[in-house]
Order: sequence, then C-alpha cells, then structure tokens
Amino acid sequence: MNLSSTVPALLPATPRDAFAVDVRGLTYRYHDRVALDGLTLGVPAGSIFGLLGPNGSGKSTLLGVLIGRRTADSGEVRVLGEPLSDRLRDRVAIVFQEPSLDPMMTVRETMALQARMFALPRREGERETALLLDRVGLSDRADSAASTLSGGMKRRLELARALLTRPRLILLDEPTLALDPESRQRLWQHLAEANDGGCTLLVATNDVHEAERYCQTVALLADGRLVAQGAPADLKRDLRHDAVRIEWKRDAPAGEFPIERWDGVGRVRRAGRFAHATVDDASAFLARLFREHGEGVHGVQIEESTLEDVYFQLVGRGIAPHADGAYP
Amino acid sequence: MRELDAVVALLVRDLRAFLRSRSQLYSSVVFPLMLLAILGTGVSDGLDPKNIRDYITFLTPGMIVMTALFSSTFSSASYYQDRDSGMLNVLLASPHPQRVVLLGKTLSAVAIGTTQALFVLAVAAVIPPINFEWQYGVAGSLVLSVFAIIVLNFFLSGLGQLLASRIRSMQGFHLVMNLVLFPFLFFSGAFFPLTDLPFWLKVLGRINPLSYGVDMLHLALYADGSSGYFGLPADVAVLTLLAAAVFYAGTSRTVRPDA
Repeated sequence: MNLSSTVPALLPATPRDAFAVDVRGLTYRYHDRVALDGLTLGVPAGSIFGLLGPNGSGKSTLLGVLIGRRTADSGEVRVLGEPLSDRLRDRVAIVFQEPSLDPMMTVRETMALQARMFALPRREGERETALLLDRVGLSDRADSAASTLSGGMKRRLELARALLTRPRLILLDEPTLALDPESRQRLWQHLAEANDGGCTLLVATNDVHEAERYCQTVALLADGRLVAQGAPADLKRDLRHDAVRIEWKRDAPAGEFPIERWDGVGRVRRAGRFAHATVDDASAFLARLFREHGEGVHGVQIEESTLEDVYFQLVGRGIAPHADGAYP
Repeated sequence: MRELDAVVALLVRDLRAFLRSRSQLYSSVVFPLMLLAILGTGVSDGLDPKNIRDYITFLTPGMIVMTALFSSTFSSASYYQDRDSGMLNVLLASPHPQRVVLLGKTLSAVAIGTTQALFVLAVAAVIPPINFEWQYGVAGSLVLSVFAIIVLNFFLSGLGQLLASRIRSMQGFHLVMNLVLFPFLFFSGAFFPLTDLPFWLKVLGRINPLSYGVDMLHLALYADGSSGYFGLPADVAVLTLLAAAVFYAGTSRTVRPDA
C-alpha cells in the first residue's frame, strides 16, 4: 500500500481549523536521541484519534509538547487552531500515563483544586463536580482520600478531573494501562460520552485492540516518525497479509515446524501449542501446511488481521511488548 | 486575578496537607523547644559560657531561626512529593505559567515556616526562665521579630526551590540541606556569639545569611553586649535583599520536563 502518500496528501487538502491538533515537521531531541523526527500529522476536530506505537516511538513526547511541558526543537504546532500558549490550556486537558493524584487529598478536594486552577466559579465547580462524580460512579467516595481508591477508581477520578473544565481537547496517555477489562470498558464508555459532546480525544496507546475498537483514526508512529495514518479498517484493507491461527497437537518449537522460512509467510508469533502467522495467501499456506505438517495440526483458523500486523508489515517489528515474542 | 486565585488554591492545599501531617506539625515545634530546654539549662548551668548573661534567652532566637530553617526547607521538599505523585505535572498543565505554580508552593513553605517559628516564639515568651528584653518595646520588638521570621522564611523557601531545581532526589535534597544548612546554623550566632569566634569563623559568620536573621532576633529579644553584631540597618538590608533575590530566583526557575 502506498502509505507514504496518504498522510502528506491529507494535510494541505484539509482546512487547518478542521484539525484540533495540527503538527508539521515537529522535531524534539533528548540530548543526542531524536524522539520526534519531523513529525507531521493532523487530528480532526471532534474525533477519537489514536497514536499507536511501541514504547519510545514518540507518543508521550508529542503529548508533552502539546501540553507545553516540552519545547520542540523545530516544527510548527497548532492546537485548536492556535499556536501553543498558557491560556490555550484552558481548553485542553490531559490524563497522564502515570497516576497523578495527591494521595492525601480527597476526591472532592482533587476536583475543587482543579476547578480553582482553571478559575471555574465556585458554584459551577461544585455542581459540575457532583455531576461528574455521579457519572463516573464516585459520588459515594467523594470524601475518601485518593490513596484509598482502587486503580480503576483513580483513573475515573483523573478522567472526571480532566472533564471538569469542559475541554475541547483531551490528551490521554495510555489511559487504560494496568486496568482490568471491566474498568477499561467503563473508561472507554466515559470517553465516548465526552466525544459525543464534541470533545476531541487524542489517545496515545500501544494497545492495538483498543485503538481498532474505539479510535476513528489511527496514526502509526515509529522512531518519532509517522508511518501511516487512517481509519483502522482502511489501514487493514491495504494490508497484503492474511492472518492464520494454528493450534498444534502439542507444544511446537520453531525447529519442528519451520513455517517462518516459507515463502509468503510474514511474522510468526508462537506460544506453546499456538502460532499466529501473517501470510500472503491463506489458501496456499494452508494447503502447504497440511501437506507438510498435517499430522501435527490440531486446528486452524483464519483470523482478521490487526493493526499490529499492519504495523509489523510497515516497520518490521511489533508494537506491544509481547509482539515480537509469544502469541497471547 | 486568575493567577492570584491559583496561588491561593495551592497555598490552601499545602497548608491543609501540613495540618493533616501531625508528625511534621508536632516534631518541628517540639524539637526546638526540647533543644532549648536541654541546651539552655544544661549549657547554662554546666559550662557557664562567658560573655552571655542569660544563655537560655540568648539561645531562643537561634531556636526560632532553626525552626524556620527546618520547617521551610521541609516544606520545600513537598515539591518532590508532588513530582513523585504526578501532581506537579497536573499543576503545570493548568493554564498558568510555571512561576505561578512555583509561587504557590514557595509561599506555602513561607507560611508554614513562619507559623511554626512564631509558635516557638509565643511558647518561649511564656516560659519563665526565658526573659526577653523587648529592646524596642513589646510591640516594636514583636514587629521586628515577625519581620525577621518572615524575611528569613522567604529566603529559606526560595533557597529550597533553587536547590530542588538542581537536585533530582528528595534524599539528595535533604543531604545537601544538612550539609549546607547545619554549618550555616552553627556559625550564625545561634548557639554562641559571633564575637567569641576566631577570625576565620567570624568571616564565615559574616557571609552567612542566617547570621543576619539571628542578629535581628537577638536585637529584638535578647539585647545585650553580645547582640547587634552587624547592627539593625545592616541586618534588615542584607536579609531583605538576599531574601528578595533568592525568592525571585527560586520561583522563576524552569521545571524540567523530566525533573
């Protein structure tokens, strides 16, 4: 697929005020390491936009630049149609990757401090706090210290705090990291509600499944550069690989069934009796598999390819920490 | 106005945290009073220091300075707690310049240090063996004492912020504070008059900012031949200028993204 032409073509053709985030030629260096390498991307206003890439691909650095914590070495940044400024943060909120609550403050105090820092009138702050705590299911914990909340509750409190000031743009850095499946689903439900209200969400993640499921547009980053940008379905449509899941009759070391070496086979991830392979042509692959190793195969399943497969095809390595190793 | 509101919000937050931290609240006040009791009576009775008419009263201004020193530097260390809890990032993501956040945090340290030092002064004033001279009358001496305590806390809190900008860990911060500030305290005239020191220690005492605070409090509260080492105009001028410069530098520093 011709991804290199996809992104540059997108930006000039679209009016700049249609982007909540408009980044052009952004470069940021940590001493001698380049974290953002001439990054250009546009986040459509009102969208849920995923920044997908492995750790160190530049996602958090980009969010740091957008919130004004890092100053880019070169390039142009516009957020909500304006150049970066302190006042701009009135309309931008961020949920950090690491927990960011004062453990000694209560839930209500946490919200009240945010309201005052953003100059919300007292009564409006209290009213919004009550509404938001109710929405995220923390009303009954309003007077509890943040340190007594569970991980999922803390995340919901951080989200409620971010929503308190009615931002037009929310930056989220790995928002569901270390949350259980139920908490993840609840959090995404709240995020979807915020998006329904017109808020743009820019989500940095290395969770391909969440990006595929919840983001309307995804930008794939590698080494501080944009590799591809588009709707998840469009990105996968252009992928030349099929994905096949194989279940062997017993644990199958790579040496016994060396399918990696076959022509037309891309990446193979193995875990015990299972293997996940991306292949050019599933029919041809399966015919050869049963011909040569049919006695060892317990079952096969043609799977939908994922953004992980797209990323691997474009970059030559995986996104998630497990991506180059075991197949979960 | 918005920025003032933000500063007040940060001030209230840190004061509330301080009041909730009972151990910090009690220990910072009990320690100087304990030293006052042990050193004041022990040294006075056992060693009979020359040139000091009433050692426990002489020692009290030094203990007030020590309280301010411990308290405001300890409060400055809350910067690290905010950094480690992630709150610093949240505050810096608010629509205010960094200096507003640093101003709020530094003023909190000033307020906490001042309150504790004033508390020690108030307790000392009613302890029978301590006989303040009130050289400028009670009201005048009190005004001078409060002024000295406030200015000293501005200096120390600003210094705490400056050090925090250079030192990455809280352990390192406390280590440097101990290494730098304990000698400063010892050679400030808090425990013995500068007049009794050898020449090279007198030089250290003269370049030591704390000496001017101790001297000002001695003038206000003790007032005999061993006080007024620099004179009131010099005390006020040096301490005020230093406090203004260090406080400004401390609150104007840049918080590194990875600090």
